[in-house]
Amino acid sequence: MNGIHDLGGMHGMGPIDAETDEPIFHAEWERRMFALMLATFANGSFKGDEFRHAIERMEPAEYLNTSYYEHWLHSLERLLVEKGQVAPGELEAAWKNAANAADAEGAA
Amino acid sequence: MPALTAETAVATLMAGASARIDVEVAAKFKAGDAVVARNINPAGHTRLPRYVRGKRGTIDKDHGVFGLPDSMAHGGGDAPQHVYSVRFSAREVWGAEAPPRDCFYVDMWDDYLDPA
Amino acid sequence: MASHDHTEPPSDIALRVKALESLLLDKGLVEAETLDAIVDLYEHNIGPQNGARVVARAWTDPEYKARLLSDATPAIAELGYRGAQGEDMVVVENTPEVHNLLVCTLCSCYPWPVLGLPPVWYKAAPYRARAVSEPRAVLAEFGVDIGDDVEVRVWDSTAELRYMVLPERPAGTEGLDVEELEALVTRDSMIGTALLEAR
Repeated sequence: MNGIHDLGGMHGMGPIDAETDEPIFHAEWERRMFALMLATFANGSFKGDEFRHAIERMEPAEYLNTSYYEHWLHSLERLLVEKGQVAPGELEAAWKNAANAADAEGAA
Repeated sequence: MPALTAETAVATLMAGASARIDVEVAAKFKAGDAVVARNINPAGHTRLPRYVRGKRGTIDKDHGVFGLPDSMAHGGGDAPQHVYSVRFSAREVWGAEAPPRDCFYVDMWDDYLDPA
Repeated sequence: MASHDHTEPPSDIALRVKALESLLLDKGLVEAETLDAIVDLYEHNIGPQNGARVVARAWTDPEYKARLLSDATPAIAELGYRGAQGEDMVVVENTPEVHNLLVCTLCSCYPWPVLGLPPVWYKAAPYRARAVSEPRAVLAEFGVDIGDDVEVRVWDSTAELRYMVLPERPAGTEGLDVEELEALVTRDSMIGTALLEAR
């Protein structure tokens, strides 16, 4: 697809922002996201090309405004639902549970 | 799909799984052949970047037989075919102002190429 | 307490990942120990020190270098490095006449077994957009000035081949042993965004 991911030769993306002494992961959620993707890829839940294509189908502005592991999160959520491994309602329930748990923690 | 144990998952990642397909498929091109990247614009997945479509290059190396992402990303078969490293001059793609010596290489499947 | 529309994903990315992890654990699609082991593997066991060993060996062993440049995957496996995102490797050699640079314009393909996981800049839009169209400007931002008499070759990893640059051995390193040479080799020199110097 002629998507936003196909970046070669585009102008206006700005300078290279190289970080000195960059850590492998920048936050705990990046570690978990990395492992969730690899664990479900390694057990055969989807193919690599399916995963890439699910990233490519992100809304273009969101693609540019989000980090690499956020791309992975969008792709994995979408693929697991499309492949029937997770029902859409299950994902929504998981969001609700996580939000409620965070609220309870905040109120405590 | 059932969860992998830690041991199996690590062993799987450490071993890797080559995307090569062990099947005899005739190569459409050989090193040195002049080719042109097809101007295709599929709505689905492809690994043919826009910047190289319609441009002329030269086959540098035949890497052997791999499945076609355009098919595999959509539940299709492997559509096994040769993948080549194709050399393009910077000037062919970016115009007369590009440095004369510079070039780039793009890995391309048979389905992405026509004879030039 | 904020009121949430719980049919929308949480705006807090960490919460959204936690929700997915809980769901996949509950459904038996992943195991917690497996997730920990995967993180540990890539955070502690795999990184550019692997590629540095390959480079130092190639600098000091001409027969190994010949094997590495003609068929990289088994040559790299001789040193024990293989696996996901490095199943089919190609090594390209920098010389006084040629400077190589790696990119993946379409996603972020990178040779994990030899270089580890890629840095953020390699995965971000500016590098992916510009490396193919203005590699010399990109290299200048990394402080690398390539002469007009040198050919710049950019390798766009669009298929399942994974690339690594064999950087030039710096002058003045004739007396160093393999371990000392390994210590000179940087991640960026194996991507092509740095040149090496003797320390």
